[in-house]
Amino acid sequence: MMAERAMTCEDAAPLLDAFVDAELEGATLIAVARHAAGCPSCDTTLRELIALHEALESHGRADAESVDLSGLWPVLEPQLDATDARRAWRRRLRSAQVWGGLALAASALFFLSGPQQRPTQVATRARPNQAVIERIDSEGGRFELRRERKNGTTLIMVSATADDVP
Amino acid sequence: MKRVGVVPICVVTILLLSVGRGVALEVQVTAVEASYEGPSDPQLLQLRPRLRRLVGYRAFRVLQDERRNCPWRSMAAFSLPGGRLVHIMPKGMRADEVMMHVQVVHGLRALVDTDLRLQNRGVMLIGLDEDVQAPGILLIMLKAVE
Repeated sequence: MMAERAMTCEDAAPLLDAFVDAELEGATLIAVARHAAGCPSCDTTLRELIALHEALESHGRADAESVDLSGLWPVLEPQLDATDARRAWRRRLRSAQVWGGLALAASALFFLSGPQQRPTQVATRARPNQAVIERIDSEGGRFELRRERKNGTTLIMVSATADDVP
Repeated sequence: MKRVGVVPICVVTILLLSVGRGVALEVQVTAVEASYEGPSDPQLLQLRPRLRRLVGYRAFRVLQDERRNCPWRSMAAFSLPGGRLVHIMPKGMRADEVMMHVQVVHGLRALVDTDLRLQNRGVMLIGLDEDVQAPGILLIMLKAVE
């Protein structure tokens, strides 16, 4: 009997949504679970999806009648991407000069690091949807930046209601 | 003396920036309704996992799709459902990135006003959650192709 091929990240990635929604059939469900158990990247994605799923379920369903989404963002926000440090970002994004300063600081660090030091490995290849926000502003409402890891897809989320209008 | 030098430098810079690129940038603006449940449009099925990861909603439906050539350094307006407008001004190319000024306007309010660089042929999203009475959000997908 031939052993089944182990699932890779490429195999698992398109199935993660369906996994969280319990839409997969048994064998595939187990294969995704097995892969995620040994893959930190897929496991993290899965945890994020589950957190989103739970936050949406608890708020979306409970308030389905009144459809009051005002409490949704405060709940989603801390769970979406803990590593993103969005609040700090927003402040920095307002000033292009800060980016200039950062670029200068990065260049200085690079040149001062010395030849014997092994350079830190950074992502050199741009992801297909990579976007760099140089400046951002909004008249009223709140906004936040989210970024998807795999393709680098950037989302600017604006939550603006009539109450937010200055 | 200094001013005399600045003008030629600016002209040369603009000419250099213009070399090797077309007269216009192709911009695609797609308005997508994201909601908790319901079917997703077949053309969005490939994007669905990515959208799902970013916004948490499950169902995605295309409301409007417009593709247009936008001349460099000119503001182009794309209308969206609900009386909103997307203003896009392609500013130039840097390496393989498109530099753009993007505004999403609703009435007199600029909901988003941003300068950004997007990978050529890349897609980025702007999500609008303006109406607390309505379930779901409006997603604006921007794609720029040089």
